[in-house]
Amino acid sequence: MQEVRFLGRGGQGAVIAAELLAQAAFLDGKIPQSFPFFGVERRGAPVTAYARVSSEPIEVRGSIATPDAVVVLDRGLLRFAGATDGLRENGWVLVNAPASVQAFAAPAGIRLASVDAARIAVDHHLGSPTLPIVNTAILGALARVTGIVSLDALERAIAAAVPRKPQENRAAARAGFEEVRPLTDPRSRLPLPPPRPRRELPLPEGPLALRSSEEILTASWRSLRPQIDLSRCTRCNFCWKYCPDVAITLDAEGYPKLEEEHCKGCGICAEVCPPKTIAMVAEA
Amino acid sequence: MARLTIPKEELLRPGHAACPGCGPALAVRLLLKGLGARTIVSIPASCWTVIAGTYPSSALGVPVLDTPIESTGASISGLRAAADALGLEGLTVVGLAGDGGTADIGLQALSGMLERRTDAIYVMYDNEAYMNTGIQRSGATPLGAWTTTTPVSASARGKAEPKKDVMSIVLAHRPAYAATANPSFPEDLVAKAEKARAVHGARFLHLFTPCPPGWKFDSADSVAMGRLATETGLFPLYEVEDGRLKITRRYSRLKPVGEYLSRQGRYSHLTPQEVDAVQAEVLRGWVGLLRREAEAGPAHDAPSASLLTR
Repeated sequence: MQEVRFLGRGGQGAVIAAELLAQAAFLDGKIPQSFPFFGVERRGAPVTAYARVSSEPIEVRGSIATPDAVVVLDRGLLRFAGATDGLRENGWVLVNAPASVQAFAAPAGIRLASVDAARIAVDHHLGSPTLPIVNTAILGALARVTGIVSLDALERAIAAAVPRKPQENRAAARAGFEEVRPLTDPRSRLPLPPPRPRRELPLPEGPLALRSSEEILTASWRSLRPQIDLSRCTRCNFCWKYCPDVAITLDAEGYPKLEEEHCKGCGICAEVCPPKTIAMVAEA
Repeated sequence: MARLTIPKEELLRPGHAACPGCGPALAVRLLLKGLGARTIVSIPASCWTVIAGTYPSSALGVPVLDTPIESTGASISGLRAAADALGLEGLTVVGLAGDGGTADIGLQALSGMLERRTDAIYVMYDNEAYMNTGIQRSGATPLGAWTTTTPVSASARGKAEPKKDVMSIVLAHRPAYAATANPSFPEDLVAKAEKARAVHGARFLHLFTPCPPGWKFDSADSVAMGRLATETGLFPLYEVEDGRLKITRRYSRLKPVGEYLSRQGRYSHLTPQEVDAVQAEVLRGWVGLLRREAEAGPAHDAPSASLLTR
């Protein structure tokens, strides 16, 4: 049995990718399974979906703790711990990244590959340049590096299940299959976090939630970040007053400070700033 | 440096699980600034159940009771009774429910709490649909709005029924204090929360809380959308104290309601005629509000004994 974990953001198609993989595996004569992780389904929030492919009936029903491959639809998510949790020895991490990104640092025992699924999607008019729908391109790449499904079955699954632009999606899968490349350069440009040990949460005896939500780093939801030009700031504190995420504080002199780890990048501060000293810029 | 116009203390913590640009998150951040730390909040099933956090963490700096969706009014009645039995002084008991949990599922318990004069504040944060479960229409969804259960097709034009007027239902119970507020006007919202805290008896706040994913607009525009709702007269800001209605944000001219509707995907199917119909309804509501404000006076409070037969 092979197990795959998909990581993306709400709207990128991670759940559909897991379903398409399962349908392709079925067309290959295998026994598949796919389902999303039910968590905080919020716009921009990280989304996890799973697929299992086996030649035997699959007895397990739970989420995948020890995947053979992790497919990362948004490489911004690599900055956060958890992407490679539980990955098996010599497992694959397949990342959507432009060709200019040549080097990732992979801990020993992890095989890395990348494909420019965003460019392929745009080339095939899938989604928009700012929000390309990358799932079919990256599935083609996954078929190539892991052999988990045949390209033929993948194309047939796409043709049967994708309601809009089925031909463009098939072509994107073929392009992903052709263009995927393994990354072996050990230089570190996009560090891959090491897997975290599993943690068990004991049931408490007193009140339930004693810890602060501040330990949850919601910056992982962000694709844009506010950049504050303090030289033009009038200290009106509108950005602080209207922030729904409590992610802007005021220093002793009344200047705003961004709380990097929690800002979700909604853009309200830039919108309400009277002198327009806040710009929303893309995350690296 | 500009003077702070609202309290600096934060009782909402970062790391909560609201969507980017969430109106309900901003509204409750401001609400708690007005209510203060000596508050206990009962939250039924709603977006706020999720926002407040999952075990083992909490996004609120005040105690929270998770309660079933129909039980907000009953649960705050119980919390008040328990606080009184324990002799806890100066405790503000608050129910924080969505529009579905208030206008539909929790209406009976709300009515009971108001009728019993329970010494608590019931807050309805209104994002105009069941957003936590994925945008299903509620009684508070406005006429014409698209939701997943009020689709737009060849034979359907979004929600066919007008928004339920929860405030009128509440006012029929003659609460000690009731007000509308909107996080796009933070000073007004905080002042009303402070006022509600100081009054005893059954109190009600109707908070207007824009929802970027549910209403289909960009998260950066959440505050602008709230401002437009009030500036168009669609969601007027007022308070009712001992039956006297007072408008707290007055306009001599309202913006055309199309400025508000046209910026939301849930209204993108509306024809100019349908927008005109909404406009007419908004103007009727605004004129009615002005009239009710003018009516409220001493003569209204103390009917003359000459009305009685001898």
